[in-house]
Amino acid sequence: MSLRLKLFLLALLTLVLPVAGCQYAREMEAVLREGEQQSLLAVAETIATSLQGRERLLYRDRRWPGGGSAGELRSSAALDLTPLPLRGEPLIDGFADDWPQAPQAWKHYAAGTDTLALLTGWQGKYLYLLLEVRDAAPLYDAPGADLLDPSSFGDRVWLAFDDGEDSVLAGAPQRQYFLATTGPGALLAHRIEMREYGRRVAVPEPRIEAAWRSIEGGYRIEVRVPLSMIGARFGVLLDDRASRGAAPVSLGNLQPGDLAASARLILAPPELGTYLRQFGQPGVQLAVGSQQGALLAEVNPLPVSAAFAPESLLARFYRRFLDRGEALRAPDTDPGRLAAASVRAARSGSSTTSLERSTDDRRLVVAAAAPVFDAARREVIGVVQVAQTAERWLLLRDRALARLLNLTLAATAVAVLGSFAFAARLGFRLARLRNATESALGEEGRLVTRLPEARARDELGDLARSFTALLDRLEAYTAYLRTLAGKLAHEIRTPLTIVRSSLENLENEGVGDAARIYVTRAREGSERLGGILKAMGAATRVEEAIASAERVGFDLAPVVASAVDAYVAAFPTRRFELGLPDGPCRVEGSPELLVQLLDKLIDNAVDFSADAALITVRLSRVGGEAWLEVENPGSHLPADAGTRLFESLWQSRQEQGGGIHFGLGLYVARLIADFHHGTMEASNLSQDQGQGVRMRLRIPLLSYG
Amino acid sequence: MAKDGSVPQRMRSRGTGPTLTPMKKLIAIVEDEAALRDNYAAAFTRAGYEVRTFANRRTALSAFASRLPDLVVIDVSLEDEPEGGFDLCRELRAKSAELPLIFLTARDSELDAVSGLRLGADDFLTKDLSLAHLLARVNALFRRVDALRRPTSSEQILHRGPLTLDVERLEAKWEGEIVLLSLTEFWIVHALARHPGHVRNRQQLMDAARVVLDDDTITSHVKRIRRKFQAFDPAFDSIHTVYGMGYRWAG
Repeated sequence: MSLRLKLFLLALLTLVLPVAGCQYAREMEAVLREGEQQSLLAVAETIATSLQGRERLLYRDRRWPGGGSAGELRSSAALDLTPLPLRGEPLIDGFADDWPQAPQAWKHYAAGTDTLALLTGWQGKYLYLLLEVRDAAPLYDAPGADLLDPSSFGDRVWLAFDDGEDSVLAGAPQRQYFLATTGPGALLAHRIEMREYGRRVAVPEPRIEAAWRSIEGGYRIEVRVPLSMIGARFGVLLDDRASRGAAPVSLGNLQPGDLAASARLILAPPELGTYLRQFGQPGVQLAVGSQQGALLAEVNPLPVSAAFAPESLLARFYRRFLDRGEALRAPDTDPGRLAAASVRAARSGSSTTSLERSTDDRRLVVAAAAPVFDAARREVIGVVQVAQTAERWLLLRDRALARLLNLTLAATAVAVLGSFAFAARLGFRLARLRNATESALGEEGRLVTRLPEARARDELGDLARSFTALLDRLEAYTAYLRTLAGKLAHEIRTPLTIVRSSLENLENEGVGDAARIYVTRAREGSERLGGILKAMGAATRVEEAIASAERVGFDLAPVVASAVDAYVAAFPTRRFELGLPDGPCRVEGSPELLVQLLDKLIDNAVDFSADAALITVRLSRVGGEAWLEVENPGSHLPADAGTRLFESLWQSRQEQGGGIHFGLGLYVARLIADFHHGTMEASNLSQDQGQGVRMRLRIPLLSYG
Repeated sequence: MAKDGSVPQRMRSRGTGPTLTPMKKLIAIVEDEAALRDNYAAAFTRAGYEVRTFANRRTALSAFASRLPDLVVIDVSLEDEPEGGFDLCRELRAKSAELPLIFLTARDSELDAVSGLRLGADDFLTKDLSLAHLLARVNALFRRVDALRRPTSSEQILHRGPLTLDVERLEAKWEGEIVLLSLTEFWIVHALARHPGHVRNRQQLMDAARVVLDDDTITSHVKRIRRKFQAFDPAFDSIHTVYGMGYRWAG
């Protein structure tokens, strides 16, 4: 893994910032919500306490559902009707579109294939009924007939309720009304009155308004009854007749036999609304419901979801990111009911807070609920719910969060870019140092002891300085090695001279024939030793020669030609081939030294080739350079040789001749090449050229300017 | 010119010697290496010379104060003085311009040779030289000294254009002017000029000069010879290099 990547990953750690920020925002939101919920709860509990034991304020009939002492009035909860508080007054026209969408508030009655769906609601002083009848064969009353003649009856709706003229308390006499029509349109309600002699008369009741409308698969009837007429109990019955004169099928919550209403109308008195309004504050919904969750009264109803402003994409992303994992239930969207959590609280008799949210819209509601007890604090008679949309502080949170995220993301970007730049710079410096170190033992074996970064004050500078110190010592060491041969030769020369002169004296003193053999051998040995010494001092002498050499401009071609002529004579066991360029090949330098260089190359070529091998010497002009090449067949250079070949004391090939080698020959060649501002190259010949080695000297041509 | 002027003085000093019998030539060897010194001494003694040896500059100088030897062989580095030989040479030259001086040293660097010869040494030899060759050198030097006292014999004189070589006196003249050459240089010029146009390789030149030198040294000798002649004649171009082989005299 590169340094750059590592630092990049390190910089990515700053991503922890936005995550931590999110966590912080979430906690902030929780605190806010908690505070909100607590204040809502306080309001709810205050209202609930104030309502304690005041059934008369909660319920028209002053009884709470399921409670009460009058046994005869105990009704089954299934039959009870809980009208929705309506926000507007529906027109009595048979159309349902001015009613709220409240699927849970519908009561369903069925008999055979016919069904009756009943929705009740109240607004102001009126009770509204919406009946939807599925009836394959709607039947109107026979037109023009007596309303009381059973043979003329069509489908009829019966309403029965306690007479509420005097009191809404239970026990009042009941009245029955029927709604009948001979065709769609407005309906008139009639009450059957018993007159003298058992005569029954259908008396119209103009206070009850109704309308009939045919719909697909049946008909719809909308009814309005003034609440002032209605007592505690209320019932609806549909007599559905298949044909005229047939026995009706009854659907509804009245007893089909005596049309007695036993079901209660669970409804708050108007005073409850007035009472609640005094607690009202803008934006806060106050609602009181029965312990079953039916809404009795409401102040400041929550806005519908369409009222919320659309969110930006970013905000939606944040919201999604933040709210993940929060289990939010879909709120009870039925307008006629309290939230499910509130109903649960009412049943358990304890206060609670809840956060509700729909999955499809963005409505988030925070609610608090408190149970309302009876006077004895034994039974729950109702629920107070205080709710508020959470939009206000959600917006706050989102805005803070967006800013936080933007800031931290920017910080991360800066950190990543910064570390990337730093890594790039560091990487560049390291690469430079590495390259310098790698090439410190440079081409042709020279040591470059000056490294980049050595002036830097940081650790990299320390490293560079350590390397420089190391290279300096290495340089000193190689310099010592380079001169070692020369020094050694010099030191050995004196004792060798002693040996030689002693031997000469010995010969002149006259020795016996037997001893002469040994003297001769000793002389031969000392001659060889002398040769070795000379070879060892070669580099030093060449360096001296170079130091005193003069540069002259000359044509290299005749010099090479003359030298090759000499080699033909000097090495009778090899064949030579000479290639010369057309025209002169003028270079600047010392012809003697260049010939000496050529000597070394030829020595080398001879040493590493077999008898009768063809050694090619080629001089050519290539670009602005003169190339002097010597090729010999023979074994290849070792792979690692390259330019090391031209270093002092470097030798790797197994030569065939028995000459004395100190690895100085090619080093001498290099020294001379340096003097001519040229370079030495060694390469293997390619396969089609036959196995062998090519040495090449490249020196700049003398320009004729 | 100074050389010519000093000759009568030298002859006079010899002539006023206390004995009339031909004296053995006295050779002084200044060499700090005892074994080598004794070996040289033995060789010279065997060849019929009287030899005195000194280990350092001071003892040699104090001995020379009473009597100058006929020839001095000096090592360059003497005991604690790395350049003591050069100093000694300078001091001896101050005493006598004619005294034959030979440097014999283990140092073979070009620089040493140049400075030795510039100080007025007659030859600069490395210790690779065999004793036989050394003796030949010494004989040749004595012969030159002797020859200076005799009239020149014409058959010993080689004429090559402006060049005149007196083999007896080991003296080279260019257009009549004496060119001061060391012994080695003289033999090299002689070997080349004797057969103009013939290439003499380095080995032949070494043999002619009776000296063992490596190729580089021959090269630098030739270079020095050219320079000496060019001092008299800037157009001097008689010694040609035949690369890879040697040199030839272009008459």
